[in-house]
Amino acid sequence: MQVLEARGRPLVPGRARGRAVLVELISFYGDVDWREGKLRDGRSIAGAVLVARRSRGSTVGSYVIYAMASRSTGPAAIVMERAEPIVVAGCVLGNVPLVDGIPWGTISEGDLVEVEPDGTVRVTLRGGPPGRGP
Amino acid sequence: MHLTREEEAILAGERGEAAARALEVIVRVGDALGAERLVPIAHAHVSGVSYGNIGDPGAELLEGLAGAGARFSVPTTVNPIGYDAEEPGFFSASREFLEGQARILRALRRMGASLTLSCTPYYLPDVRGIPGGSHVAWGESNAVVYANSVLGLRTNREGGPLALMAAIVGRTYYYGLHLDENRMPSRAYRLSARRLDEARAGVFGEIVAVGHVDERPPMLLLPRRPGELELREMLAALGAAGSVGMAVIPGVTPGAPGEPPRGLEVVEVEEWDLEGRLASIAPGPSGVDVAFLGCPHYGLGDLERLARAAERLGGLRVPVVVSASRRAVIEAAARGLAARLARLGFRLSGDTCMVVSPYPVKGLRVATNSYKAFFYLKRRGARAYLAPEEEVLEAAALG
Repeated sequence: MQVLEARGRPLVPGRARGRAVLVELISFYGDVDWREGKLRDGRSIAGAVLVARRSRGSTVGSYVIYAMASRSTGPAAIVMERAEPIVVAGCVLGNVPLVDGIPWGTISEGDLVEVEPDGTVRVTLRGGPPGRGP
Repeated sequence: MHLTREEEAILAGERGEAAARALEVIVRVGDALGAERLVPIAHAHVSGVSYGNIGDPGAELLEGLAGAGARFSVPTTVNPIGYDAEEPGFFSASREFLEGQARILRALRRMGASLTLSCTPYYLPDVRGIPGGSHVAWGESNAVVYANSVLGLRTNREGGPLALMAAIVGRTYYYGLHLDENRMPSRAYRLSARRLDEARAGVFGEIVAVGHVDERPPMLLLPRRPGELELREMLAALGAAGSVGMAVIPGVTPGAPGEPPRGLEVVEVEEWDLEGRLASIAPGPSGVDVAFLGCPHYGLGDLERLARAAERLGGLRVPVVVSASRRAVIEAAARGLAARLARLGFRLSGDTCMVVSPYPVKGLRVATNSYKAFFYLKRRGARAYLAPEEEVLEAAALG
């Protein structure tokens, strides 16, 4: 079993662990069903570590992250290459650990991801080649 | 980020859990952007308050904050909502919508907001009284551009939740358009056109906004000083079609030079650029189903002009929805102007507009004089057309 470690910016520090769900460009308002904790393509992000390159879209995204956190339908943590204010605000409000500065391609779908309060991201590879989505 | 002792105390919870959480949002976002400190604000304008936009997640957050004791520490005004508070039925709001919107309003009122429900806070006497150069935290893109470009106030384009948190703690992160050096133009755009009206001003705003991706403002060189309606529509278009938060306009922007500073690149926008674009989105001969005026919200003077214009035309064959600030609606009612507009066939409403309400525009042919409304109505599935007010009224008179 291969393990790799990367260090990012702990924008909202916290400890979390979960399977990686990858979305390259996420719009929390529109791409996510916050009541069910599911992406539009049916994948569940509840309790997962959501891995994204960037985000886009409306500032309502902050409210969506908060709503998922308050209903426990949201991700255990969010790991991004670059986080925008909309995501930072939502994660602070919902107490969702957020790390950015992790290059897209470091983590693959289904990898086990552990996030530490200092921004360390530990990835246990599922076995497939790195950097592949579903 | 450097924090004052008072700010550290707020973070530690001395003003309650809600204020600590609100300040944490601002500090963490500021950190992510690289801001060095916070800056006190004189006023906040909160956007993202329509139930149609923020839904239950937004209502829950607002109720959570209000319930946890959050109170606004600076004067705070509020953007339009999804219906006319005096006539909720007109904009087709469902029972679920009305209830969700009422929850949002109750929470905002509990936190101390002034429920102005208008996208033109810059016309409020209290706001006009804020000294130029003051820092504020505003959502609502058209208001942000107006505040920076006309009033000389300083604000970034704050997302809904950030303006809300800034209102609670009376501070925002010192970044972007709060800093002098970021308010200097990075490029000028010169419009050579003989005709200028609000629709053309809006199209010019679109051309600039699409081409200008810099964080520093564009300088706008116009053939003449724009009238208030032209100015408002142009600034609203800048805010809607791109991410511009400020424009530097000679004769309008406090402290703006009369000429572009030496060495500043000047992009020429020709009359044909404007006319070609406008011709492609003007109402066609097939007619319109409804017309919409008042984006951003009309004021009393706009309503008076509208009544005179419609009287000259002698009657409207399709509905013309006119959105105005509640203040203008009340003044119009007191002067008999509201009744006059109703007799002429206008549907005057306050607190909302065709864009943020659930008004069923999908598939409708809608004529408007507002580039911003055109931009968002198209995204809501309408067949939207843009023309100056006079031509919109003519189209409405023909049906």
